[in-house]
Amino acid sequence: MIYTTEYSSEITIIRPGVERLTAVNAKAFKDEMTALIDDGSAHLIVDFKDVTFLDSSGLGALVGILKRVGNRGDLAVSGLRPDVEQMFRICRMDRVFTIYNDVETAAQTMSESL
Amino acid sequence: MLAPSLKIIVAEDDEIQQLYLCALINGLGYESVPAEDGIAALDLVRQTDAQIVITGLQMPNLDGIGLTRQIRGLDLDHYVHVIMLTGTDDNEVRNEALLAGVDDFMTKGGSTAILKTRIRTATRLINHASELADRTRVLKAYNERIQEDLRAAAAAQRQLLPKLQDDIMGFRVASAFVPSAIVSGDMFGCFALSPDKLGFYAVDVSGHGVHASLLSVAIGHLVTPEYFCTKALHNNDAPDPAAMVAELNTRFSASENDDYFTMFCGVIDKVSGRLDYCQAGYPSPFYVNQSGIAEAIGDGGFPVGMISSASYENGVHQFDVDGTLIICSDAASEAENPKCQPFGNERLRTIAETSPRIGAQDIPNKIVHALTEWRSGQPLEDDLTIVAIERKNIE
Repeated sequence: MIYTTEYSSEITIIRPGVERLTAVNAKAFKDEMTALIDDGSAHLIVDFKDVTFLDSSGLGALVGILKRVGNRGDLAVSGLRPDVEQMFRICRMDRVFTIYNDVETAAQTMSESL
Repeated sequence: MLAPSLKIIVAEDDEIQQLYLCALINGLGYESVPAEDGIAALDLVRQTDAQIVITGLQMPNLDGIGLTRQIRGLDLDHYVHVIMLTGTDDNEVRNEALLAGVDDFMTKGGSTAILKTRIRTATRLINHASELADRTRVLKAYNERIQEDLRAAAAAQRQLLPKLQDDIMGFRVASAFVPSAIVSGDMFGCFALSPDKLGFYAVDVSGHGVHASLLSVAIGHLVTPEYFCTKALHNNDAPDPAAMVAELNTRFSASENDDYFTMFCGVIDKVSGRLDYCQAGYPSPFYVNQSGIAEAIGDGGFPVGMISSASYENGVHQFDVDGTLIICSDAASEAENPKCQPFGNERLRTIAETSPRIGAQDIPNKIVHALTEWRSGQPLEDDLTIVAIERKNIE
């Protein structure tokens, strides 16, 4: 389900490939992301540009992925739509994830810090 | 394998033909049951458990095709395999017979070998059907047992919810609890903590269904009035709901899985009207004052059991006499109509603002009805909890 793009040799951009990241597909999303991390990707940007809705299971999966990345690298998110942004805010995830307006800014900022 | 006790009804008005067939059938190890016409055969189908009928085409009273139609119209718990004896290969007659529900044909005067093969085919189909029926019966019984277990679990879960028919300490509390499946991943409680203080909480476990309900019931058992008192009130009676949430976070962060829950809890002082609350990822409740103006309470907080190092904050809000606090799980604002539009917070706010006019006790049901209408009667996809707490005048 996820689509990945190599921004550089170190940074991977991921689009979840679903409009709604919910209990229905959160586990598949997490499994695919986990496989990516276990394959060595450590600097990840999940672009939520095309995601209109994220439920508590989706958020749980995302935090699980963040824990998986751990100290090996970082995980940023970009392109949060209003409903998704509100979910992040109400759960204080804006203090856990680095959030960028768009994926280009995210990739550029991340590559400068490497 | 031949089943020796299988009954075969032989419907044939030609006596010699009938005797001949019955003898052959008995010789093959089956039990033949003769019938002189369609009506007699139909009676036998009704009265015996015979699952194979061999019938002639032309018979007085009720012919072979009529008999077949009647058999197909019966409400039997087994299938009846109909083999028709025909004199010719007349396609039109065969077509009509097939439409009536005949399964197979045999030419009159055919060999014993053919009869044997036809009956064996019928027996195989009958055995197959009865195996399927057995399997369906087993699955059905199993499913009924699961459903029964779930209903028992749901009843146990409801037992944990507070009984809210009476006012508590001068607060009127009303609620709605609507699981999306039989059991719910939601839980709430509301009880007296001390002579002056009312404690309440609402919890929504991520996900829904049986998995989420296990955790929600565990929380319901854990967060008793005693637990609430010990964890959320300091020795001097000063409320600290964030301390209780932090304690729960430590306890539930230990597991490796992605399970977590959101929570809103608070302590209301019945004398001063001071509300101390902690919001942990749960949607902001509405506080509605007596003029009917609703205000969202809290600006968020970490969910519980997600991040072990999370810290929690207390918030304070004034809860005036005749004011109402309306707590809704996210199932309300996220409920989508057939056009995939969410119900949203603004519609919830509009209903919340009617509270001073209609009274807190009617708010939960009003929201449930609005959501049912919004979803055109479709059940919710997530567990719904609504709790309305109204502060009344103390005599």
